[in-house]
Amino acid sequence: MSATFEVYEKQYCELSANLAKKCSSASLLDGEQKKQKISEINAGVDQAEALIRKMDLEARGLQPNVKAVLLAKLREYKSDLNNLKSDVKRIASTNLNQAARDDLLESGMADTLAVSANQRDRLLMSTGKLNNSSNRIRESRKVMLETEELGVSLLQDLHQQRQSLLHANNTLHGVDDNIGRSRKIITNMSRRMNRNKWVIGAIITVLVIAIAVILYFKLSK
Amino acid sequence: MGDHLARAEDFESRAEKKLGGWAIFGSKYEDAADLFDKAANAFKLAKSWDQAGAVYVKLANCHLKLDSKHEAANAYADAAHCYKKSNTKESISCLEESVNLFMDIGRLNMCARYYKEIAELYEQEQNLEQAIVYYEKAADLFQSEDVTTSANQCKQKIAQFAAQLEQLRLPALSTLLARSWTLYQKAIEIYEDIARQSLNNNLLKYGVKGHLLNAGICQLCKGDVVAINNALERYQELDPTFSGTREYKLLADLATAIDEEDLAKFTDAVKEFDSMTQLDTWKTTLLLRVKEALKAKELEEDDLT
Repeated sequence: MSATFEVYEKQYCELSANLAKKCSSASLLDGEQKKQKISEINAGVDQAEALIRKMDLEARGLQPNVKAVLLAKLREYKSDLNNLKSDVKRIASTNLNQAARDDLLESGMADTLAVSANQRDRLLMSTGKLNNSSNRIRESRKVMLETEELGVSLLQDLHQQRQSLLHANNTLHGVDDNIGRSRKIITNMSRRMNRNKWVIGAIITVLVIAIAVILYFKLSK
Repeated sequence: MGDHLARAEDFESRAEKKLGGWAIFGSKYEDAADLFDKAANAFKLAKSWDQAGAVYVKLANCHLKLDSKHEAANAYADAAHCYKKSNTKESISCLEESVNLFMDIGRLNMCARYYKEIAELYEQEQNLEQAIVYYEKAADLFQSEDVTTSANQCKQKIAQFAAQLEQLRLPALSTLLARSWTLYQKAIEIYEDIARQSLNNNLLKYGVKGHLLNAGICQLCKGDVVAINNALERYQELDPTFSGTREYKLLADLATAIDEEDLAKFTDAVKEFDSMTQLDTWKTTLLLRVKEALKAKELEEDDLT
């Protein structure tokens, strides 16, 4: 066997193993990556075909007994490659189908994407609203406390005014008593004044009468 | 304005003349007093407070000669009010004279009110010690007249200033330290007393928790942890609703923070309370003092370790 044939054979084996791995991995993927893999696989398949042709030429250029063995091997490799190709086609077709389904349902998928984005937005909004309302509640509590303090100071002022009013009430009662007493005193004074007036009047009349009597007696002597 | 000024000076000069010259029946003092009164009014209208005050003082002298102490005292009070706008010392001396006269007459109510005014003037001048003295006198007189609210108000001011003054005395000797303890103690007693009295009164019972909070803060300033806890229990007994209030929560948190000497916890508790109701300057000053003491204690411990 020629060295070049062996080299080609080795290359072919590596390539086919590689392609087989890629096929199995591609069947698991979908969408863009699948298409990528499939194009890779196709490229690999082309490479493998080229290798087989070269091996074929090499084999034909060799000895007939060796040629038979090599050709048998080559036939094996060719069938192998065909299997790979059909695999690739199957994957591609399912891929096509998948791609068609994707196209059909794309709006649906985007919808779910949009829906999940929507849900996230809604959650954000609701959290924001909750924060707002708790802030407002805190503010109103502050205002309520301030009002309560204001009320307390108002009550204290009222209490003080109540005491002032009570005190004033008591003082007024005292004033009332005093006024009553002073009225009595003044009526006393006026009565005494009247009495004095009468007394003085009486004394004057008595004195005048006495003077008259004396003059009368004096003059009649 | 110039018109009033001229009229006022005219009145004053006539009154002086009356005083200087002879008069019939000794009515010169009364006439002079009348003229002085008109003069002082005119000065007030002309806004020359000093002159108005001086004339009022002369008026008071006239009344004193006439032996009507009540009128004299009133005149001194008017003089003080005029001087308030310009010269505080004169005003205070006039008020003192007026107070003495009222005490002679026996109108303790007016005395107490004027003592309170003097104390307020000292407070404005930031002369807290004198202010305390006068507030005490006023509180005693109010107490004897049974006007408990005004007495309580004066006592509150006393407690406030006593607690504030604390710091200013501390840098002194140990004898004063003993005295400083009594200052805080006095403030605490006053607040607790007021709280007890307010409990019975329907109008005042909503202010009780404020007073207990003040008393609690003074306890914290004293720094005696056992006493603080005892005090908190006592307040609980006094007022069953106290434990539900934020004030109680603040005091309990601060007490535990001091116990554990944890500065962060202290600051957190104060911040939480402040976020709801703003702390006024008095409370802030005292709490700052407690915080400094706590920090000093922490540093001390670090030095020792």
